[in-house]
Amino acid sequence: MGLDEVLLEGQGEAPALRLYTWRPATLSLGYFQRLGDVPAVGQSQAVVRRITGGGAIHHAAELTFSIAADLEHPLYRGPVAESYERVHAAIALALTDFGIEAQLRGPAALSSDREGSGMCFHHSTALDLCWGGAKGVGSAQRRRGARVLHHGSIKLGADPFEPGVAVVGGTADAAGVGASLLRALARTHGIDFEARPPSAAEERRALELGQRSSDPAFLRGRRG
Amino acid sequence: MRPDDRKYLPSHEWAKLDGDTILVGITDFAVEELSSGNEGDLVYCDLPEPGRQLEAQETFGEIESVKAVSDLNTPVAGEVVEINSDIEEHLEILSQDPWGKGWLVRIKPTNKSLDHLLDAEAYEAHLAKSH
Repeated sequence: MGLDEVLLEGQGEAPALRLYTWRPATLSLGYFQRLGDVPAVGQSQAVVRRITGGGAIHHAAELTFSIAADLEHPLYRGPVAESYERVHAAIALALTDFGIEAQLRGPAALSSDREGSGMCFHHSTALDLCWGGAKGVGSAQRRRGARVLHHGSIKLGADPFEPGVAVVGGTADAAGVGASLLRALARTHGIDFEARPPSAAEERRALELGQRSSDPAFLRGRRG
Repeated sequence: MRPDDRKYLPSHEWAKLDGDTILVGITDFAVEELSSGNEGDLVYCDLPEPGRQLEAQETFGEIESVKAVSDLNTPVAGEVVEINSDIEEHLEILSQDPWGKGWLVRIKPTNKSLDHLLDAEAYEAHLAKSH
């Protein structure tokens, strides 16, 4: 999580895409979520808190992505809702590689909507990407100064913490979906990313920032 | 044109002199960007404890909409002497009256000058240029 925040701090830099998976499987809470509102907290092997809002996500059979860019970048310029539509257009295109026709939810509720779990995938909005009548991509943004971090999760397989959600399924793995997303961002928004590992300075800063995500006081949350 | 009885930060906070203190809030533009016209999309606002000392442009709070958490930055340095606690339970106030009842914090400034901030015309020009 610390590396995501490093990307958010990278003012003036070219857009950055980070693709990753988790070991061990981890429950991440939304920035303002109350611990007591997420029953899965007591069942997950590991728990952290994100700097983005929204509901909790169980990072197990999924691909996590972060896209950081300046607020003035064409991907993020203007209202939050429009920036979501642009990011989701790229993800929807990527998912066509796996035979999935994802679309924005629109006004209708989804079969994956559930009360009381506190999970991101059990709560949907008009801007969420869904297929088969269920939510398959969870997204949340952090806006700080002139930077935006769009953080999200694409479900690859079923997860006992999040029953009923849409998954990519089949033989799709995180690397394959990630490669498709990379190509889709280039095709939809002309963003060409150059692969590179984090610098030593970025790694140091990420460790420093990342310690907070599992710090007991931070985990307790802003709202108790 | 936005109200000219106050000054603005490019990050969409406003500051208005009120006696010996300064009221701080966010503009209608900020509210619209976060909520897309749906006041129910604003879900939580975290404000500082009174007594906190702030440096100019320091983050004093955070606001969460359905899809984004954004920082709130103070236009002036000083001590937070009061917060608008109505906001935490009634975020719709921000959509309904961002210039009045939607103020967020009252600050006792170390310097009452607002000259370093954008006036309404300059703020409008900033919006036109960057959005």
